[in-house]
Amino acid sequence: MSDWPDPAVDYVQAITDTKILLGQRYAQWSLAGPSLEDDIGGASAAQEEIGHVRQLVRELEGQGRDADWLNGDRDPEEFANASSLDRIDGEWPEYLASIAPADRAAWYMLDAIDRDDLDGLITKIGEDEYFHLEYHDARLETLAAEYPERIQATLEETLPQALALIGPAAHDESADPVYDTGFTDRSTAELREAFADHYRELFADTDVSLEAVDWDAPPIEEWDETRRRADGGAVSEEDVTQISGKQNELFAMN
Amino acid sequence: MKYEVFARVNQGDDTIHIGNVTAKSDRLAKVYARNTFNEEDWDRLAVVREDQLLDVTGEAKPTVEVGTQ
Repeated sequence: MSDWPDPAVDYVQAITDTKILLGQRYAQWSLAGPSLEDDIGGASAAQEEIGHVRQLVRELEGQGRDADWLNGDRDPEEFANASSLDRIDGEWPEYLASIAPADRAAWYMLDAIDRDDLDGLITKIGEDEYFHLEYHDARLETLAAEYPERIQATLEETLPQALALIGPAAHDESADPVYDTGFTDRSTAELREAFADHYRELFADTDVSLEAVDWDAPPIEEWDETRRRADGGAVSEEDVTQISGKQNELFAMN
Repeated sequence: MKYEVFARVNQGDDTIHIGNVTAKSDRLAKVYARNTFNEEDWDRLAVVREDQLLDVTGEAKPTVEVGTQ
């Protein structure tokens, strides 16, 4: 396996950590949905995200990252997940409007990777992601009709956080450190534009207005290039304990 | 709204009824069906709105009105 450029390793780490937290949040909410179908969808998505993590962790190990560290034996501040997943305050509408932008952002970043040796893995992940994103959009459409103020208020917070995961707007084709190495075939600026266009179109005919969303976030001078966020913060210690599986390692099969 | 779910494993097989889902939109119904009935690698999986099914039997049996004048 050839070495990836350093910015590319951090890029894949942020996608992987976002998927770890997506798996955690899907699992936590998978019995809290408004219908059995929503619960089954959440449980299914949780399994798929953890499957993606297993494969991506293997790739990152190949780039020299420590297996235990990758699997959660680290401080909360060392996770590079989308900050919208740090915690979810609220009920089902807030949950949906928090996870959907993060899952879409992580997929756009994966889809932009231009590596023959990762093609098969990314194609397989894409088959799962098609249904995750289709589900989110279909559910956001119904929630936008039922709870427009709550969806709008949450998106005003979570869309900029997902944009921070993708990267700052200043990272266009002439100034994107990952694109510059050839690891991706689209710049951060291009991914951001596709991401914003998608949500503008999704909510165009609804009572949810995205006028107040800060589409230019994050300011590049405030952006942490390792953790791909601008607002500090981190997941809770409790989340990390659960994710690492430390409390249950006694029961591991060797 | 209730949707009936139909599927077949191989091309050429009969498409059979495998269950139902309840959803607020056609788009959601398709995703729910995929998540709920993903135990097979289906060649085709489809949903039909319950109100789109045309009953042949099952409701009150049709009768022919006969005049008695």
